[in-house]
Amino acid sequence: MTEVLNPVQKIWQEQPVEGIKMSVDEIRRRAGKFERRIVWRNRREIVSCILVSVLFAYFLATNHHVLFRMAYGLFIVGMIWVAVQLHRKGSVNSLPPALGAASSLQFFRTQLERQRDVIKNVWPWYLAPLVPGYVMLTVAYAVSFPRPVRWLGVAAFDAFIVLVFVGIWKLNVRAARCLQRSIDELNSAETSR
Amino acid sequence: MSAIENVSAIEAIPAASSADELYQEAAKTFGAALERLARAYEADADLRRDLLQDIHVALWRSFQGFDGRCSARTWVYRVAHNVGASHVLRQKRTRTQALVGLEELENLPDENSGQPAADRSHALDRLLNLIQRLNPLDRHVILSYLEGLDAASIGEITGLSARNVATKIHRIKNVLARQFQQGGESHD
Repeated sequence: MTEVLNPVQKIWQEQPVEGIKMSVDEIRRRAGKFERRIVWRNRREIVSCILVSVLFAYFLATNHHVLFRMAYGLFIVGMIWVAVQLHRKGSVNSLPPALGAASSLQFFRTQLERQRDVIKNVWPWYLAPLVPGYVMLTVAYAVSFPRPVRWLGVAAFDAFIVLVFVGIWKLNVRAARCLQRSIDELNSAETSR
Repeated sequence: MSAIENVSAIEAIPAASSADELYQEAAKTFGAALERLARAYEADADLRRDLLQDIHVALWRSFQGFDGRCSARTWVYRVAHNVGASHVLRQKRTRTQALVGLEELENLPDENSGQPAADRSHALDRLLNLIQRLNPLDRHVILSYLEGLDAASIGEITGLSARNVATKIHRIKNVLARQFQQGGESHD
């Protein structure tokens, strides 16, 4: 234990503090508020998913072409899958109760690994589930409007969607690489003797 | 009186004490240290108050799982810093300045370098500015050092190897010496 404080340590330790105190009852109230915030966030996600699904369900019900109906059905399934995954991987997680059992290094690394895994594998849970819907929609347009001039518009729209998907994927891969570098630094900080 | 001098009070609590009792004793012993810590993790006064309350809630909740395998002091600092680190990671999108490690900070040119601080308040502002530029792990190490914890305790709390803690403390002393014109190797 340090016996003699240097001037900077003294400045730090002797800085004025407000002396904020919280009673156990206040703590319980705030803990409840925090839990309610998480519940509301989850409800918001479910409601958003239901609204989008209802919109596609309306398209599905009002369109009589079987290929369009299949496309909207695939979009609904894709949206539900994305919403479930967003809920599972969401960044506003409640903190684990055994927060003191993990050293700062372990905790920080776990947080970075979680973020890396979410963005590194963005294809299977965020982008790919919507692909079947888009493909089926393109097929439906091509079959329903067998005029090449119409297909140009569809092709341009598809090309735009492909560019957006590739852009999202590339950005996430780059961010995942940055996170991996930080994780590697933490690993070497832990193991070097 | 620093939190370290009061540690014996909380260490004396029997392991069978309830989470409420443990929390109350920890808040009494480390309350000021937790406020200083929150200040190092959040510059905005309102957000800092929220962060401090989050730290207290996390501490209270965490004591339900406290098994006495590490000291209460280690537990308190781990919980508080882990909440602080989560806060820093959440603020990532709104941050204007990239966070750096101690090594980079040591090599960064600083406009204040070598200039004596006008008064304690100015020196504290300069110190906080320095701390808030650090990544969460190095921020943890410098805060533990400023709180007067020894290298072994810092290693236990952070999970860093003894060699790394020694290197980081050496860098901290150099950075502080450069910033505040004091002997870098004067003490341990």
